[in-house]
Amino acid sequence: MLWILPALVLIGSLILYPVGYAIWLSFLDKHSFFPAERWVGLGNYLKIAWDVEFWDSLWKSVVYAAATTGLQLVLGVAAALVLHATFRGRTVIRALVLFPYMIPTIVAVIVWRWLLNETYGVVDHLLLRVGLVREPIVWLGVDHMMTSLIAVSVWQFTPFVIVSVLARLQTIPLELYEAARVDGAAPWARFRHITLPQLRAVLFIVVLLRSIWMFTKFDTVWLWGEGAGAGREIRTLPIYAYMRTFTYYQAGFGAALAVIMFLLLMAATLVYFRLYWREEEAVA
Amino acid sequence: MIRRYMLVTALVMATAGAAGAADKKVVRLWQTETEPQTLAILNQTAAAYEKTHPDVSIKVEGLAWGDLERKLTAALAAGAPPDAAHGQPITCVSFAAKGLLRPVDDLADSIPRNDLVEAFRNLCRWDGKTYGVGHSPASSVFVYRKDLLAKKGLKVPRTWDDLVQVADALREVKDGQVVRYGLTMTGQPLFINIGVGELLKTNGGRLFDAEGRPTLTEKPVIELLDFYKKLNRVLPPGWTGHAYLDTFANLANGKAAMLYQAYGRGVGYIEKYAPKEIADPEHFAVADKVIGPSGKTPAAQLDCEPWMVFKDAKGANEAVDFLKFFFKDENYIPYLHSVPIHLLSIKKSTSRSPKYADNAMIGKWRSWIDMQEKYFRNDWIKPVLVTDWDDMKKPYLLEVMGSGILVDMVLDSVKGMPSAEAAAKAQKRVEELLASAGHLKK
Repeated sequence: MLWILPALVLIGSLILYPVGYAIWLSFLDKHSFFPAERWVGLGNYLKIAWDVEFWDSLWKSVVYAAATTGLQLVLGVAAALVLHATFRGRTVIRALVLFPYMIPTIVAVIVWRWLLNETYGVVDHLLLRVGLVREPIVWLGVDHMMTSLIAVSVWQFTPFVIVSVLARLQTIPLELYEAARVDGAAPWARFRHITLPQLRAVLFIVVLLRSIWMFTKFDTVWLWGEGAGAGREIRTLPIYAYMRTFTYYQAGFGAALAVIMFLLLMAATLVYFRLYWREEEAVA
Repeated sequence: MIRRYMLVTALVMATAGAAGAADKKVVRLWQTETEPQTLAILNQTAAAYEKTHPDVSIKVEGLAWGDLERKLTAALAAGAPPDAAHGQPITCVSFAAKGLLRPVDDLADSIPRNDLVEAFRNLCRWDGKTYGVGHSPASSVFVYRKDLLAKKGLKVPRTWDDLVQVADALREVKDGQVVRYGLTMTGQPLFINIGVGELLKTNGGRLFDAEGRPTLTEKPVIELLDFYKKLNRVLPPGWTGHAYLDTFANLANGKAAMLYQAYGRGVGYIEKYAPKEIADPEHFAVADKVIGPSGKTPAAQLDCEPWMVFKDAKGANEAVDFLKFFFKDENYIPYLHSVPIHLLSIKKSTSRSPKYADNAMIGKWRSWIDMQEKYFRNDWIKPVLVTDWDDMKKPYLLEVMGSGILVDMVLDSVKGMPSAEAAAKAQKRVEELLASAGHLKK
């Protein structure tokens, strides 16, 4: 028993205590930097239920998480399949593909904001030059703020999917493909009946992790919208929880938002696991 | 043997050095002047102070203006604020009301108090005490390209409607694309807050009544939102995503002909980025702020962060002592000269000093300074979200600004929501915010 004590202490102090404290805080009316606090029970949760801003930010979080996760998955699997093939310069391309995931978020955001600026950015300049658009697209304005954020997030995080899928692809026995070829299976049939089933486990983990991470993503979203009034178009739940805590100074309300976010993710994860297991059983 | 001796000596010296550093009281100051030359001057002043106070180490950190309030409150929440910091006047009042600040009457008296420009003598007072002394006052200014207006035979706009018409007339299109916009404005939340307060003042409006209840459904606010709708049609389409410095860039490089929310520091950008032959006040001129349909006088935003000293800071007294040193002319004038058209003197004696006037930039851009001083003299200038000096007694303006409700109100309106509806929505949200903090009865 003694040998697991350090692990228990670590889990207790780094996970259970902060989560427990956040739950406790969510039942209080507490100013963000004053010790005074008042027990309000479920008061913060009731307020949230009637808070239009909460529902709006929840919707934005769902849109952002679903769009970015879906696109990362499609592009990541496609890119991994390409990088799995044998061609000249493959090693260099594989290394380059990781680049967006390795650079710091702040650098990625600054560079992309610069590239997408409608006044002097390269992207609009090229689009105009090629004739794809007649007027610059205002990527950082109210109408396209979410679209541009999704695009940048997909660019930044797709390498994670590529690496995960590529690693699994390399372990699929080649005999399976050879046998399928002998049976006359076309490329699409081989992908559908061999590759995809073999990728199931890794895709399950990738979808789970990426959707949780995108739903709770703070840094990219915050930096993308910071310094712009249009930032409210991407005011997702983590941003709203931060604002309630540090600009409204309502630590209790902010904690309640964080707890709701946690519960939503827990519920989604449980449903996801359940569906996966049901399908696994059916396959078995 | 020699190597071992050297190692031991080095260790002893390093330990002694560390002990020496540990004995020093570190005083942390957060301030919003982040231009390299200003930071260099402040660090020089700190070094000069440390020479006569070997037991104190002054650490000056520069923070972006738009980040200041968030970083201060996050630091307070973490229980680790600096010893002294700049803050918006409303931040200072809010912190003073919450009992977070040390009174700085001793600092004000040392300047002395009657040498401070009258308009800014009481920038941050609470319960009869002074809690902040402004480092340097500046006014927002309206800048226009005199040559471009003259070329098109346009007059300098005087009213909100004039501004929209002139901006429209100044727009230039080439090969089907806009090559110059008539007007540029920032969509940065802090500046939308500033714009709301400032424009409302020019329209004879207010944000709160005498009881502290928000007044967002009043006519001047509705007119203001209608005006934003009109502005949205003449501003660059991405203005809501444009940062403060983008607008200076737009003006300096000729992408825009007028800038509504400019500041003296913009001169630095004009000198640096505009073509040399036009980088002067004959081309980049300043004019009075435009007046709204229900207003009578122009109004501008006061940019003057008071120095605040945190009550529980270990180096609070040392911070005040350093600030007394900072305000001495031999240190203060080089500080003002580091951004000469923006950092104006809060001390009357310094403004009159020949040493202060002996600056090429001040000579060249005198008209910009005169415009700001005109606003000081006429009391046409107030801190962000303050439409009347009595508003400074309301300790919740910081929360209203931080909530972004006014920014949302403007953007709702710009996106097409009827002005009255956007105003009513914001009114409800501000009322709820104030009620939840106990500032307003439901």
